[in-house]
Amino acid sequence: MPRSDQPRRPVSIPVIAGLVALLAVAAGAAVVVSRMGRTPVQELGVYSGRHYNTDKELYRRFTEQTGIRVRLLEGKDDALIERVRTEGANSPADVLVLVDAARLDKAAGMDLFQPVSSKQLDRDVPANLRDPQGRWFALTRRVRMLVVNPAMVDPATMRTYADLAKPALKGKLCLRNNRSVYNQSLVADQLIQHGEPATVSWIKGMVANINQPFYTSDTPLARAVAKGECGVALVNSYYVARMIAGLSGEADQTLAKQLKVVFPDPSHVNVSGAGVTRYSRKAEAATRLIEFLASPSGGDGYAEANYEYPLKGYGSSPILRGFGSFRDDGVSVQQMGENNQRAVELMQANGWS
Amino acid sequence: MGPGPPSPGERLASRPPRRLLLALAVWLICLLALAPLVGLALYAFSGAAAEPLDLGPGGLLQLGNTLALLLLVGVLGAILGTTTGWLTASCSFPGRRWLAIAQLLPLATPAYLLAATLVDLGSRNGLRVHGLAWSVLVLTLSTYSYVFLLGSESFAVSGRRQIEAARSLGVGPWGSFRRVALPMALPSIGAGIALSGMEVVNELGAVELLGVPTLSVGILQRWQNDGDPQGAVGLALAALVIVSVLVAAERQLRHRSRRWGMGSPGDRLQPWPLSGWRAALAQVITLSPPLLALGFPLLWAVSSWDQMRGESIDDLIALTLRSFALALLAALLTVAAGLVLAISKRWIPQVLLRRITFLAGMGYAVPGAVLALALMLLGGPWALSPLLLLVWGYADRFLAVAKGGLDAGLERIPPSVDEAATGLGCSWLKVLQRVHLPLLRGPLLVGALLVFVDTVKELPLTFALRPFDFDTLSVRVYQYASDERVGAAMLPALLILLLGLAAAMALVPTLERQRGPH
Repeated sequence: MPRSDQPRRPVSIPVIAGLVALLAVAAGAAVVVSRMGRTPVQELGVYSGRHYNTDKELYRRFTEQTGIRVRLLEGKDDALIERVRTEGANSPADVLVLVDAARLDKAAGMDLFQPVSSKQLDRDVPANLRDPQGRWFALTRRVRMLVVNPAMVDPATMRTYADLAKPALKGKLCLRNNRSVYNQSLVADQLIQHGEPATVSWIKGMVANINQPFYTSDTPLARAVAKGECGVALVNSYYVARMIAGLSGEADQTLAKQLKVVFPDPSHVNVSGAGVTRYSRKAEAATRLIEFLASPSGGDGYAEANYEYPLKGYGSSPILRGFGSFRDDGVSVQQMGENNQRAVELMQANGWS
Repeated sequence: MGPGPPSPGERLASRPPRRLLLALAVWLICLLALAPLVGLALYAFSGAAAEPLDLGPGGLLQLGNTLALLLLVGVLGAILGTTTGWLTASCSFPGRRWLAIAQLLPLATPAYLLAATLVDLGSRNGLRVHGLAWSVLVLTLSTYSYVFLLGSESFAVSGRRQIEAARSLGVGPWGSFRRVALPMALPSIGAGIALSGMEVVNELGAVELLGVPTLSVGILQRWQNDGDPQGAVGLALAALVIVSVLVAAERQLRHRSRRWGMGSPGDRLQPWPLSGWRAALAQVITLSPPLLALGFPLLWAVSSWDQMRGESIDDLIALTLRSFALALLAALLTVAAGLVLAISKRWIPQVLLRRITFLAGMGYAVPGAVLALALMLLGGPWALSPLLLLVWGYADRFLAVAKGGLDAGLERIPPSVDEAATGLGCSWLKVLQRVHLPLLRGPLLVGALLVFVDTVKELPLTFALRPFDFDTLSVRVYQYASDERVGAAMLPALLILLLGLAAAMALVPTLERQRGPH
């Protein structure tokens, strides 16, 4: 309450009216600005679940090559899927980029993509890494691999994912929780290869081996293994590569170099990928962008900046090359997506919370 | 509200009301606030037989975690907020002024950032930061400021006479706090606890990172991972029930302790001077929470400065400007809407209207990500501008924040004032202009500040609804932090803190003026 020695000044109506008017103008201006420059010529709207600053560099290169501008909205995959769905025919998105097999399949199942046929994409994207109907195409690959602390676990005993369920690992295994879509896809992958009974006993065996609550992210897992808090853990390849590259500091770099990286044979390979949206009226330009991102010249850059593997081969990064080679288990990304729901149910039912 | 002295509205109901405009405004605001929630429920249950609500696997655990967090964070936050509020409002000790400002810093620290830095620092140093206890710490630090703000505002303005009377009767500082100041500030403290409780109910990023599945985690999981919108809405209803209970409890408390105090000329309270160990203790108590909330991110930044990736200055300026503009717009709109709802209760004695204004504040209880889905459902088919949807979402979500303080502030203004003014022929608009607005300057500013800061750090709505090429500071922070690149998140995070600090500084002159010279 103002003190009495300061006169209580009434707030005048004109001031209030002015404020309201200002608000209206500001809101209107915001709307206008947001619509400005949305000219139909040579412009593509991209919704992307990837968020790496280096992606933007690649879009810029695409614009330089083709003159087609890219307008970008990065978000969470699930929210972007929902947004494209609710926007329907009004959606300004021409290309939808998503991370993980399950999300690509989900979007395809909701009929958010239109089929595209492109000789170049058929050539550059291996058949198991694209939708048979041409609705989406993988752009980068990442491997769910093992990191081992050699002082605690002999890396030579870790040859397959199934080895993680061996009783010898009791108290030495650390896992991320079932909210991780990377783990969901891994379980779907095992489900396809080995069937449900084997997958259930595999999950149960691993859950019996863990020695502390499930983790919520990959980097702390890798650190825990290096420090000897866990003997072995499942992580995505690029998290370890980033640590080795020194992106999170020298301490992490030293830690990561102590880790022994093991690719189970065969390895579960996951992807990020893209498709042309159902209602895009610029399918041709949109296909060009996907072709560019999947091509060795564009796609290798897309993958490399985040230490992912390109669609074919191992890329040029010395860190990734240092990890050695892996054998893709060849499970189709589409099948993994279809089995995602069942995988999550099995995880929940068998203690992988 | 229950039976109290008749409001001017009741007493003057026979006058030809020029309140049609007010009623219309109230209905419009409520309609806009409730539309997304109603749309959501309709969507979830459309085309499907209504099944009995089922919390489902994990649902019980999620409910339990949410309740445990609410209880623990509520109690700790109340103690922390009340103590710091009383110390800085009613005592004097070296550094008090700055320490009062510092209490607002934790508010500007996004909980997910605090959690991310803690998890990262812990895992670097062999400490597993995980589970309920850490969540309680993070959420208490990031929400106690609500109690502090509303509480200290009330400590500063109300009950000076009573406290002086108590003093003259030989009651000491502790006694005057416990027996006079605290009961008088209870409505405001209750409002603060309710606000922090709602924040706890819909917190998502931090609890997810700390591995504590709560209702908000469950709602999103059901919706997006399990493809089960009905189950999601079922869980959301459970969250709504919890929040309604919170709000109802707060109102009950407020009603029981309703007092009117205008403050009158010469009514200045000498603050209790603290010296020696008492002053030192007061300093420690008021310094610790902001130091913790700010300290962890800063500690991270200092220990890992080599990993902080710079962004281009242009980019940072653009991010900051967008955050600032959005937050300013949201703050003005929300406070205006909250004011209309708050004063309507004084003028229009309709039960239905009261109920509906009560419901309008429920947007705060819905997890932001779910509100975002609801707005997409509304906006998508109509091709509404994303920015419009975004601001709509902010106003919907933060309406309760603005309104809580205003309700408490209005209750301190005796109805006799309205009656006198109406008796002199003033319309509600005139009374608003000449009486309520000047008297409510404190709560208005506090509300605007809270909405501003909340919007700057708001994430799920901004993330889901923003247009092309329109990243904000919080979006950038989350993109990096969720991708486990805390280093890159630091610079935008520090800018969020700076914006919050700037907003807090804007509030200081008002709070200080209320406290009076000493």
